[in-house]
Amino acid sequence: MSSFSGGRRVLITGLGFITPIGNDRATVSANLRAGKHGLAPVQFLGNPQVPVRVAGTVKDFSVESTSPREWSWPSCYDLPRETLRGMAPHGVYAFCAIQQALADAGLKPDDVANDDQTGLFCASAGSAMLMYNNLALMHSVRGERGNPMGVVSSIAGTLNFNLAAHFKITGAVCGFVSACASASHAIGYACDEIRLGRLKRVLVVGAEELNAETLLPFAAMRALSPQSDPKLASRPFDAGRDGFVGGGGSVVLVLEEASFAAERGASVYAEVAGWGQAADGYSVAMSHPAGAGLQRAIGRALADAGVEPNKIDYVNAHGTSTPVGDRAEAIALKTVFTAAGARPVVSSTKGLTGHPLSLAGAMEAGFCALAMREGFTPGNPHLVNVDEACADLLLPRESLATGPSTVLNNSSGFGGSNVCHVLKRWAI
Amino acid sequence: MPLANLPASPSQLARYPVEARDAYERFRTTGDVNALSLVILAAVRDFMPKRSLGVGMELRSDMKLMEDLGYDSLAVAETVFFFEDLFKVRIQNTELMTVRTIGELEQFVIKKLAENANKPAV
Repeated sequence: MSSFSGGRRVLITGLGFITPIGNDRATVSANLRAGKHGLAPVQFLGNPQVPVRVAGTVKDFSVESTSPREWSWPSCYDLPRETLRGMAPHGVYAFCAIQQALADAGLKPDDVANDDQTGLFCASAGSAMLMYNNLALMHSVRGERGNPMGVVSSIAGTLNFNLAAHFKITGAVCGFVSACASASHAIGYACDEIRLGRLKRVLVVGAEELNAETLLPFAAMRALSPQSDPKLASRPFDAGRDGFVGGGGSVVLVLEEASFAAERGASVYAEVAGWGQAADGYSVAMSHPAGAGLQRAIGRALADAGVEPNKIDYVNAHGTSTPVGDRAEAIALKTVFTAAGARPVVSSTKGLTGHPLSLAGAMEAGFCALAMREGFTPGNPHLVNVDEACADLLLPRESLATGPSTVLNNSSGFGGSNVCHVLKRWAI
Repeated sequence: MPLANLPASPSQLARYPVEARDAYERFRTTGDVNALSLVILAAVRDFMPKRSLGVGMELRSDMKLMEDLGYDSLAVAETVFFFEDLFKVRIQNTELMTVRTIGELEQFVIKKLAENANKPAV
């Protein structure tokens, strides 16, 4: 535990899931245990020639239209028009995930509204779809009129703007934009705000939408798998992997300071024992070939948590199923763990969900917390032929019926941002 | 007089009640401004931020958008943009200050359409 924390510890006390593998905790847990993926056939822009054929789709929502009036979501969530009007498609996912997480934490919306001790930290890349639509209108009328909700619904802060207003968050509100490391940054800085004594509780929100405008630019980078069979498309650490599969959704974590959580009798998933970050300083898009920044980020997370490498019994890898990225992560893991005589179980749950970009870190932290409390460890069900570069890693195909006690959760984003968390089983 | 610059069956009205869509068509094909009332009432109901207020409420022309219907400045801006986009007119911020009730909104839209009748569409 870092010296600045004054003994304050950070707990995960609530989770909300809107994910490709389920929109509630029980379904997510069952699919993680069974190794059942949430990838489905997709066709973008009505064009079968687009080389993107499967994605981690979000079920029971319809947010394809550029008009919020035409969106639908599960009827158990009460989303009023005054909130909906400024939202992006992924904001709807996030709204539902927050309502779910608050209920899971035993909190009512009134408990977080106008509470100076509660903050809201969001990870979002904005809505490229709505941005494109708004700007196309602007150009078509030569700037003479535009949608008044165009800014707040589409720029990268859209989650924080809308959710803070609806849930009346007064503690602290901010957003994180580091691509696929965004949600992990949100968790890390939320953890620090609590440890510094500035906030008692933070709602950490990661969300991403899945549509042509968000995903197809990655096809232009040749980063996406062209496979149509989900099991072949997303297969982290497999020798035949050929790119990532996009995904959408939202996951919300309720983080609370331990004594504050205890006072209200909160149920605990796990402790966020520490985190670390380090950058590659290497490429705008590709990982450092030896995972140099990731190695340092892991080291810093372990040091912050006061955990030796041999105490980590599960690593939820970033593992997106790209040839370069998985190899770099495997080298980083071997450098840190093998050298210390440790061999934790490693899996990438992106085999089941696809890669939801800004959401990834929160989604996978949620999966880890769930696994720790419910007593299982996710596997690598799509792994057939392990890549030689990953051969020394302990990569079980099937999930394990025992839960980890200390977890490392990795995320890496464009520009070489690497963020890692250490989660520990909480025992009073 | 038909309004040639307005499209038939605009997407903005696709989800509106059939009587509002029929009224729009009557206005578009005949220029009858009396038909606009149904379109405006449907839009006012559609942009009410607090949906619960609108359930079963009979809208009257003397109702104030903000005080009676829960409109805020963003909802007013949305409504204005809707009419700008639907009728291809331009509405300045200063003009909005005169509109407080449903009836004033109706008269304002009619006035803007009259001003716009002989101008090219934007």
